[in-house]
Amino acid sequence: MLRPLFVLLVCAVSLCAEEAPSFRRDVMPILFRSGCNQGTCHGSASGKDGFMLSLFGYDAKGDYYRITQEMVGRRVNLAAPEQSLMLLKATGKVPHTGGELFKADTPYYQTLLKWIAAGTPDDAASVPQPVEITLAPERIVFEGGKGTQKTTVTARYSDGTKRDVTDLALFATNNPSTAKIDKDGLVAATGRGDTHVFARFNRFTIGSEVIVLPQDKNYQWTNPVANNYIDEIIHDRLQKLRLLPSELSDDETFLRRVFIDLSGALPTTKEYHDFMADTANDKRTVLIDRLLKSDGFTDLWTDLWAEMLRVKGGGYAPTATDVKAADVYYEWIHDQMAQNRPLNEFVADQITGTGSNINSGPANLYTMLVHDVRVTPKNLAADFSQLFTGVRIQCAECHNHPFDRWTQDDYYGWVSFFTGIQRKLGVEPREFYVFNDLSAAPAKHLVDERPMLPTVLGGESSVPKGKDPRQALAAWLTSPKNELFTRNLANRIWAHFMGRGLVEPLDDMRVSNPPTNGPLLDALAKHLGDSRFNLRAFIRDITTSRTYQLSAQPNATNAADTRQFSRSQLRRLRADVLLDAIVEATDGERGFGYFPKGTKAIQHYPRTPGDTTHAMTGDPFFETFGRAGRASVCACDTKLEPTLSQTLHMVAGETVQSQVGFGKVIEKQLKAGTPPETIIEDLYLRALSRKPKPEELKALLELVGSDTQDRKPYQDIFWSLLNSTEFIFNH
Amino acid sequence: MRPLLLLPFLLTSAFAADAVITYDEHIKPIFREHCLKCHGDDEQKADLNLANFTATLKGGSGDKAVIAGRSSQSLLFQAITAEDDAERMPPKKAAIPAPQIELIRQWIQGGLRESSASKSLVAERDTSFTPTTDIQLDGPPPMPESLTAFTPPALKRPLPVIAMAASPRAPLIAVAGHEHVRLLDATTQQEIGALAFPEGQPNVIRFSLDGRVLMVAGGKPVQSGSVVLFDVKTGKRLTTIGDETDAVLAADLSPDQQLVALGGSGKVIKIYGTADGKLRHKLTKHTDWITALTFSPDGKKLASSDRAGGIHLWDATGGGILLSLSEHKAAVRALAWRSDSKMLASGGEDGLLIWWDAKDGWPTVTKNNAHPPARPQGFYGKIPNGVLALAFGPKGELLSAGRDKQVRLWSPSGGAVKSFSYEAALPLQTSITFDGKGLFAGGADGLVRILSGN
Repeated sequence: MLRPLFVLLVCAVSLCAEEAPSFRRDVMPILFRSGCNQGTCHGSASGKDGFMLSLFGYDAKGDYYRITQEMVGRRVNLAAPEQSLMLLKATGKVPHTGGELFKADTPYYQTLLKWIAAGTPDDAASVPQPVEITLAPERIVFEGGKGTQKTTVTARYSDGTKRDVTDLALFATNNPSTAKIDKDGLVAATGRGDTHVFARFNRFTIGSEVIVLPQDKNYQWTNPVANNYIDEIIHDRLQKLRLLPSELSDDETFLRRVFIDLSGALPTTKEYHDFMADTANDKRTVLIDRLLKSDGFTDLWTDLWAEMLRVKGGGYAPTATDVKAADVYYEWIHDQMAQNRPLNEFVADQITGTGSNINSGPANLYTMLVHDVRVTPKNLAADFSQLFTGVRIQCAECHNHPFDRWTQDDYYGWVSFFTGIQRKLGVEPREFYVFNDLSAAPAKHLVDERPMLPTVLGGESSVPKGKDPRQALAAWLTSPKNELFTRNLANRIWAHFMGRGLVEPLDDMRVSNPPTNGPLLDALAKHLGDSRFNLRAFIRDITTSRTYQLSAQPNATNAADTRQFSRSQLRRLRADVLLDAIVEATDGERGFGYFPKGTKAIQHYPRTPGDTTHAMTGDPFFETFGRAGRASVCACDTKLEPTLSQTLHMVAGETVQSQVGFGKVIEKQLKAGTPPETIIEDLYLRALSRKPKPEELKALLELVGSDTQDRKPYQDIFWSLLNSTEFIFNH
Repeated sequence: MRPLLLLPFLLTSAFAADAVITYDEHIKPIFREHCLKCHGDDEQKADLNLANFTATLKGGSGDKAVIAGRSSQSLLFQAITAEDDAERMPPKKAAIPAPQIELIRQWIQGGLRESSASKSLVAERDTSFTPTTDIQLDGPPPMPESLTAFTPPALKRPLPVIAMAASPRAPLIAVAGHEHVRLLDATTQQEIGALAFPEGQPNVIRFSLDGRVLMVAGGKPVQSGSVVLFDVKTGKRLTTIGDETDAVLAADLSPDQQLVALGGSGKVIKIYGTADGKLRHKLTKHTDWITALTFSPDGKKLASSDRAGGIHLWDATGGGILLSLSEHKAAVRALAWRSDSKMLASGGEDGLLIWWDAKDGWPTVTKNNAHPPARPQGFYGKIPNGVLALAFGPKGELLSAGRDKQVRLWSPSGGAVKSFSYEAALPLQTSITFDGKGLFAGGADGLVRILSGN
């Protein structure tokens, strides 16, 4: 039916194929390295200047089509390859928004030219794929604050071959004021500190640690005692960085710190005196063990989990988040914390949660993580991942994660765990039954609309069919072997006690955001798993370590350190703990809307008669002091930064004013005829858990003057103490 | 060359296959279920009442809700099929189920019948083709006679056939080559010469209506662009028009040879006089690259298209806009006039092939998937199905090429006649000879093939 006519010059197939560069193996990496497919250029979702490439090359097939087929004759010129627009643009020979990317004498140009000259051959999808990249050396130490080091990137392919891809990779540093890295992978020290440099190739990112040490011949390790594995690893790290840890904190500081951290409350004056009078060597550990068993510990960890799990109760039925549901959930969490339920079981119960929201606590994972009339699988999948693994998997929705290992395949396989989650109306308007509809269609891949069966992150194949896939999800996620889970939990718990996670932000775990002390996070994660996810045992490890008990006072080496735990960091009290502290210090009272009298701030979660879809803290004080509004799972919703409105609230707001003014603390003492120095000491112990220094006492006694029955100066003193940084911070 | 075997028309007019859908029987129940709470007798949000037929036709504050025969342009249909949850009707609810949407579509396409006794509101159209009597021109059919010898540059491989045209009066075909145009005798199937085009790539090739002038437009991408007119007999360059900063992507010569229209990445259509080479008009309405330009054979209209799917009809002499033809959702790749100037055909990357009534811009026949590619087993995702080339023949027949690697012949009224499998390469251009006897296609492999009957 078809007869070729007027046959012109024909390229013999064998000739063309010979030594022709491969599109996927050779051409795509050049587009990546040259920045053609980055987000600000042709990798933008709508392309650039009329030409679109997939961001960082996630869709090679589509890119091949767009380069060679979309506008035949425009982007490549098969008749005169060197006149191809693609080459003219890249070498800046014609106007190009992206300017000149490489010169005609580079291998990049030669490869592209050869590929076009060969007739732009497509390569089957069977071309070997990179399966891993390595960056050498893994660790670089610059002595004396300067120096350079060449790095090499090697890719391993699915056929087992290896290839040096240094000149096809992209490089970046996490902190250019410590070390920079140029486009050829040459690392140069710029200033004291530690950071990571990264190489990216294909869909992989990998880092090497860089440590820049000062010229410091006087550095001498002081050999502090190591209480446990945490101290051993920290000490090793500090020696490598030529830092010395601060001294151990004094008993007063330790007492206040450990009370706030373990029970969310200040020590009473009695507890102060008991502890200070105790002369036993192990009194700190004894106190820790006592606090681990306290109700305050259970309340505090219920509070922390309720915040992460976005527990809020409302009165708008269709979102399935009625106060009754929130209460059932809260009480269930409280029970688990009280029993010291292994954290993996605690999480697994929620993942497989099924049934009535007002009867089954754990089923409310699927109401409280949603706070909406409809369950949106993608949102739920993203929040679930961020919460339980610290991975922001949603970055892989539109393209492979540019700075981590996650692909679109991972993302859509993950979303498919949640496509069947539904709630159907129960016997009354507030009640909804949570269930997983196993017949729900799986998520479709963005690039080719392929249905993606439920697959765990990094999984090779989908989970077995037939059963509720949430069971496989729970089993995988909460396994002690799952580092995504153990590292996330360990990091979050560590951050509560140390004021900073080993990875920050807590919920942004990725290859390009490595921990400041990798071995420590590994060890913590392993111990957490090995302890069968025993929260109290794990916290005991942390709080009994010397590292936790260090003073905040810097020494000559560690004043600038905020990341290596060489000293204690000042931490503002959480909004709820702060409010409880004010109430406790002043013997005051503070009620909350929709909660019974006597409820503590750390026993409170936001309730409303209305709907719960928006941010709610439940109290104006919480609003001011940055308690999470629980409108998202982001760890950033809990704010500990000081603000002007906080200062104003403490100085002039009713919380402190009314507690100091109407509290009975001073009046009681005056009535009892307590001498001024004792009253002042009592106020100090209440607010700061320490006695006043002699010079402080002297000055304050002068302020009280001779009229020892006038309560005004005492009120001023108390007010000042509660407004001091020392009160608002844990140190 | 074998004679073409014209098959009887395969009737595929737009709604022949659809059952009769009526407001009373099918549509009102759907409206009652999903719409009447807000757009009914009690409440009329946006002044729209769908509770009775007359009010439905009247529409609301935002204009008519339904347009007979054009679901794609009906506000109601756009509202219920919007992909964005925030825009879709009914608000904050799941979309209306697909079978019901299909019923509404068929109801609109079928002409908004009220009851089974009602007539379709889509006007009957005369789409018949009457061949214009051969233009009476003196002299024999113009063929190259005394071309200057020109040796095409030696190339590793030929340029894909990105432009091709058949003379309307002679057995002559002009084909794009790298920096030249080759001329082929359609009867003898011999190459009879070549014209140098040092300006660059010929992106568009057109013959004048009398077959005496050959227009070649193109240039070097992002460097230069122009239009050159050649004398067909002698191969002499008559004039060069335009001095663009990018290659000309679309161009045409008016039937009276007085005007050349050109466009490209600049999104502007420029109309030059051929006598003095001066710019006459700049037409600025397109929002993306101009992809095709073509004058109607009667010289009255200019049709233009762009990469975003827009098509406009202009007054060819005054330069004013006549009509905007909106139906394409992606780049329009080809435009062609039927020789009676009554019908304009358009094809694009969205797979649409449309015959437009030039009088009022009505899409008389719409093929939603004119070149459907086969879906390999286990293959997911969208397979490109664009229509890449169109050419009308003297009897009103249309020859199209598409990304399914097929060349298809259509009857004057849009019926499918014949399909030619073109597996060797992507077919980029089609041409029908002046006498309708030769069907040609040019491919991405640089080869021109003749498509014979059987």
